Amino acid sequence: MKRISIIGAGNVGTNTAFFIAEKRAAKVLLVDIKDGVAAGKSLDLMEAGPVRDYVTSIRGTVKIDDIADSDVVIITAGRVRKPGERREDLYRDNAPTVRAIAEDIRRLAPAAVVINQVEPIDLLTLLIQETLGADRMKVIGVGGLLTSTRIRYLVSNALGVSSREVTGLIIGPHHSSMVFLRDTIRVSGIPAAALLGEARLGELIEEARTAGDKILDLAQRSTSFYAPGAAAAMLVDAIVGNTRALLPVSVRCEGEYGITGLAIGVPAYIGEQGVTGILQLKLSDADREAFDKAAAELKSAHAGLVAGAA
Amino acid sequence: MSKNKVSIIGAGNVGATATYYIAEKVIADLVMVDVAGGMTQAKALDFLQAGPLRGYDVSIVGTSDFSQIADSNVVVITAGLPRKPGMDRMDLLKVNAEIVKQAARAIADHAPNAIVIAVSNPLDIMCHVALRSTGFALRRVVGMAGILDSTRFRYFVAEQLGCALSSVHAMVLGGHGDQMVPLPRLTTVGGVPITELMEAATIARLVDRTRKGGAEIVALLKTGSAYYAPAASVAEMVEAVITDRKHLAPCAAYVRGEYGINDLFIGVPAILGKNGVERIVELDLADDERAQLLASADAVRKGVEELNSFFKPT
Repeated sequence: MKRISIIGAGNVGTNTAFFIAEKRAAKVLLVDIKDGVAAGKSLDLMEAGPVRDYVTSIRGTVKIDDIADSDVVIITAGRVRKPGERREDLYRDNAPTVRAIAEDIRRLAPAAVVINQVEPIDLLTLLIQETLGADRMKVIGVGGLLTSTRIRYLVSNALGVSSREVTGLIIGPHHSSMVFLRDTIRVSGIPAAALLGEARLGELIEEARTAGDKILDLAQRSTSFYAPGAAAAMLVDAIVGNTRALLPVSVRCEGEYGITGLAIGVPAYIGEQGVTGILQLKLSDADREAFDKAAAELKSAHAGLVAGAA
Repeated sequence: MSKNKVSIIGAGNVGATATYYIAEKVIADLVMVDVAGGMTQAKALDFLQAGPLRGYDVSIVGTSDFSQIADSNVVVITAGLPRKPGMDRMDLLKVNAEIVKQAARAIADHAPNAIVIAVSNPLDIMCHVALRSTGFALRRVVGMAGILDSTRFRYFVAEQLGCALSSVHAMVLGGHGDQMVPLPRLTTVGGVPITELMEAATIARLVDRTRKGGAEIVALLKTGSAYYAPAASVAEMVEAVITDRKHLAPCAAYVRGEYGINDLFIGVPAILGKNGVERIVELDLADDERAQLLASADAVRKGVEELNSFFKPT
């Protein structure tokens, strides 16, 4: 069985373990520096197992050394975004923790595929990859996949159809500047624009763009965690099953979409080794322009942070 | 909410395997009806004895008594003969029309509120038989074809690209036969049309293989025909109705003017839910796609005319 370690036993980490257990066989390790939290949540999940037919084992620990030889490591440790916060400020707070975790992974599980759930996704995914010194294809940020599941839901809800057949790709930074590839938003292959009208689809896209903020506003003290947990579990499915599912994720580009040395959202095939290929689509002029502008902003945020750190 | 009940008429490979897929989803009690009562009872018992291991606590009855389908939410008609060597098309049509008619009349008698899913071949024609012999409202009778044709197309695309099956969606319209109309521009990987991912010649090869998907399996098996993918397609449709999933998928539905076709069962995108075909989705088709669909409809219409030459619904 594959060994999957989840670092951070907060809501996102624990729900990732939960979604994995509901669907597949794996050995899951939940790690948290807070004494007893990971152990307590793991025990609670395992005690649901007899009723829910789990074949997955879940164990909690405070010892990071237990992640040794994991096949997949998921990083969820970091503080969540505050309403309206700039990505640079969040980065300054989360980067030290994430860098330290990446160093542990380099030492203990250097062959693992690493999934980053910590915001700002693109900047920290790059930081993890640089710290690991690993193959860039083995470090994946959950960005577009989360927004993709949101637009899929919103489209299905607006049409009154089931969401399983709805697709939708998002590229660019995991940020309000993300670019929705309208033509990929479809139901059983039928363009959603033909079913909903361009204007209504546009409204839903704007709703999906700010969906994270809406949940933050509604729940007040917490950000969303079910959809992010489901997105990470979906990546685990693709990695463990080596399915080569086409999913929008943040990965360091070296020439793809004209980007070099930055992690950014692109459509990628996901398999046992992480990203097994980046799908380079021909973008419309408008999408190209929006993507380039968003990427330039991300690049400049990154340059500012690097200069600040030096 | 009373427990859902699904009946399958015809407990051959397609019927029994569909029963298996539905039992595994634990969404309904099941009844298999077949003139071969002992065989059907045996299959039901065998399934029930697998239940403790597979974790399905549904009731499964095997019987030759049609009255057991009473109060089903969904009835699937899989009964029918395969074409035997030397049998001509018309003979097969007559034999299967009679079998489906008997099934349909039993449904009208015992399960008057059911949604009917026709599976027997020739599919589009048997939908007409089921509709006329049940006397049900048009939207309560639907045929299983497009989901099967599109699951085959999806598999071929995923295999060709080496990508996950779950990332591929496909749309195949028209009658269930050589003249089906696979639509590559509405067949996607993660929403990206395959026309952007593959050469035209490759797509043409996969389209052709999809058209001949049933025949490919028959040729390999020598005796018998496909049943796993057909049964999975049946289970998908049953699930859509039982769970009211509003599943947008290609199905053989009765069109009255949609796509410029009148009074015919033909494969079109439809939303499946608890009321059967809840909506037919009309797409803008390109000229060549429309021409193919109309040609396919003509072929189905010819079959219906053959049926009309002898068929009495009651």
